[in-house]
Amino acid sequence: MTIFSININTPEFAWSFTIAMAWIIGEFGHRFTKLPRISFYALVGFLAANSHYEFLSYLEEDALLLPANIAFGLILFEFGYHINLRWLKCNPWIGVTGLVEVIATFIAVYALTQWYGTSTFISLSLAALGMATSPAGILRVINEQRSSGQVTERIFHLSAFNCVLATITFNVIVAFWVSQGSEDIFHAPVDSAIMLVTSMALGVVFGIVLPIMLRQLGNLAQDATIAFALSVILLVAIAHAAKLSPILTALLFGLTARHRRVTLGHAKRNFGALGDLLTVLLFVFVASTMEWQRVVAGASLGLALLAVRFGVKTLTTVVFAPVSGITLRKGLLTGVGLAPISVFIVLTLAQARYSGIALLYELSALDALVAMALTLEILGPVFTQVALSLAHENQERG
Amino acid sequence: MSLQPFQQSNALSVGVELELQLINLSDFDLSASSPDLLHLLGKRPFPGNVTPEITESMIEICTDVQSNYTGVLTQLQEIRNALVQAADTLNIGICGGGTHPFQRWTDRKIFSKERFEQVSALYGYLAKQFTVFGQHIHIGCSSSNDALFLLHSLSRYVPHFIALSASSPYVQGGDTLFHSARLNSVFAFPLSGRAPFLLNWHDFANDYFVKMEKTGVIKTMKDFYWDIRPKPEYGTIELRICDTPLTVERSAALAAYLQILCAYLLEKNEPAPLEDDYLVYNYNRFQACRFGLDGSIVHPKTYESRSLREDILATLSTIAPFAESLGALPALTHLYKATEADTDAYYLRQQYDESGSVEGMVNAAIARFRKGILVQAYASS
Repeated sequence: MTIFSININTPEFAWSFTIAMAWIIGEFGHRFTKLPRISFYALVGFLAANSHYEFLSYLEEDALLLPANIAFGLILFEFGYHINLRWLKCNPWIGVTGLVEVIATFIAVYALTQWYGTSTFISLSLAALGMATSPAGILRVINEQRSSGQVTERIFHLSAFNCVLATITFNVIVAFWVSQGSEDIFHAPVDSAIMLVTSMALGVVFGIVLPIMLRQLGNLAQDATIAFALSVILLVAIAHAAKLSPILTALLFGLTARHRRVTLGHAKRNFGALGDLLTVLLFVFVASTMEWQRVVAGASLGLALLAVRFGVKTLTTVVFAPVSGITLRKGLLTGVGLAPISVFIVLTLAQARYSGIALLYELSALDALVAMALTLEILGPVFTQVALSLAHENQERG
Repeated sequence: MSLQPFQQSNALSVGVELELQLINLSDFDLSASSPDLLHLLGKRPFPGNVTPEITESMIEICTDVQSNYTGVLTQLQEIRNALVQAADTLNIGICGGGTHPFQRWTDRKIFSKERFEQVSALYGYLAKQFTVFGQHIHIGCSSSNDALFLLHSLSRYVPHFIALSASSPYVQGGDTLFHSARLNSVFAFPLSGRAPFLLNWHDFANDYFVKMEKTGVIKTMKDFYWDIRPKPEYGTIELRICDTPLTVERSAALAAYLQILCAYLLEKNEPAPLEDDYLVYNYNRFQACRFGLDGSIVHPKTYESRSLREDILATLSTIAPFAESLGALPALTHLYKATEADTDAYYLRQQYDESGSVEGMVNAAIARFRKGILVQAYASS
């Protein structure tokens, strides 16, 4: 009998090792190439899951969904916190840009997938998902670069806008599709509407109650971050248990907290070490759900989708740049910065599957979607970083 | 290159420059937004002039040359309204205050312009920690010797302007216990402080300036960071010690106060300035920075000690007839009220106590800068 033995064929080891490696490679990769750390995390996750030994395949599906949603929830809260509704009133062109961008992307993606020959349901769902920009990629890059300026502000607001609309549209489409052929055609859509409204209401309630509680405690600046982090974790856990949308709840929580004028301390961006740690897990997890064979099989439609979405978003932000108060160049860079999408798609689909909608297995198995998601999980943050850099909005180094 | 000749300008004409803070409305930190704001402001006529400052999170505005208080006030209000409208379009906060209470100097970006980059290379971190915000007031002089006479005669009143404009109690996140901590950043520069005691322009230009130029330490007047300096190309003297107040109404009142004081001094109502006046200069200046209106100053001629508040009130009363002839009595009324209500620094500390955070303090400063718009709208309705 040996005194010392090690069994590396356990999911706990595989995930701990991969996350540690992702962090190390992310740090070195960022130092040497200046590219976003999250791109390296995704690359490591994808390679580990698709390696010859199928290193990460031991874990049960959905086991990491809750921690990934918590990681995304923290990001969404902070994201929602950046949204200033008063700006939309002062400069209505921001709202117009957002609305046109969302509608145009929906139509373009739907037309492309129809032309390609996918079913109507798949086309509609893809069109709804394609509207979104993933806040995860954007927030990490913006905080990493400590950027500020109009491209940064507009990416924040347009992304929040299209995420909310994409989540609602996607759920409405799925609900109507599910109800087709059933006797009670209103049952699923009503359920879906209740789910969406409850999700948002839950976020708003947290956003009102927590600041009141913090005011009672006094000294907002010092105690706020840990309280908000715990609240987001609790909120996501409730959403998970009640099968609500964690995306909408966390985003609305942040948005409401901001407008209740509770300030999140400057030093606590990304929720500090907790946020950093969970982000590694989030990006490794999301990339690990993608299979190499699917990426290859779906490459042509996936890249076409990516190009159409990119083109429409960029064109819209350029067209509305002058009337909304910025240069055409900054308009163009705003569109480029809106590229990331993957975390949003993967978690939305995982959440829908977890909620028991069988129809979506077909959608999440769609090769083109996997190809687009993988490409943008690695390249999306790079697009955002390049956009911020060309706009001279990132922090000067040295 | 010797010092350029002193241009003549209309005696007692006034111009105001204000350095303002650009704020991110999410975290209330400074925001490097001046290129975006300048682009937008460039698209329509601006009621004055607006230029970039050394870091991208500040801008400088200035009025045209004005002859009286009403002109200064009206133009500053128009400028404020245009700025607030543009800032609203771009989701930027804009406010006064001599320092940003919690900005970290390591986060600042130097605006891409040759002179700023030279200054940054020479002074290192001093250039970035010089992200402080001041009000400069120009007073036109009909001759260069008048300019030097006023420059030195005003030295006794410098603490008045420090105390009345003081709006920089916090630096790098902490309470400095100063009313104007901004001036401590200015002291760090080797060519700051008072101008040499010379009352004749010929001596100043051909003796002092030429010698300094030969040393290689300076090239232009811009290299001197004096509290009051002559500006020969405009034919003015420039008072540079004020913090940017939280409202443009206070800025206009301070400009009028300087104009009235100059009118009073030009009538030779006071004993002529002497080098010995500067014996108490730094002490008085410190008292004003540290304690605001409650500071205790020493009169340079009589060595009598009195509170700054008392000294200001006495001066306001002495110069009231000059204010009347210049149409600036409302400015003096504003300053009377200011001495009762205490400084902007006091207001900012109050806001910290109420909101519990430095971010809340910045939010209050943004609201106060805008407040005048509502008052104006109410008055005209």
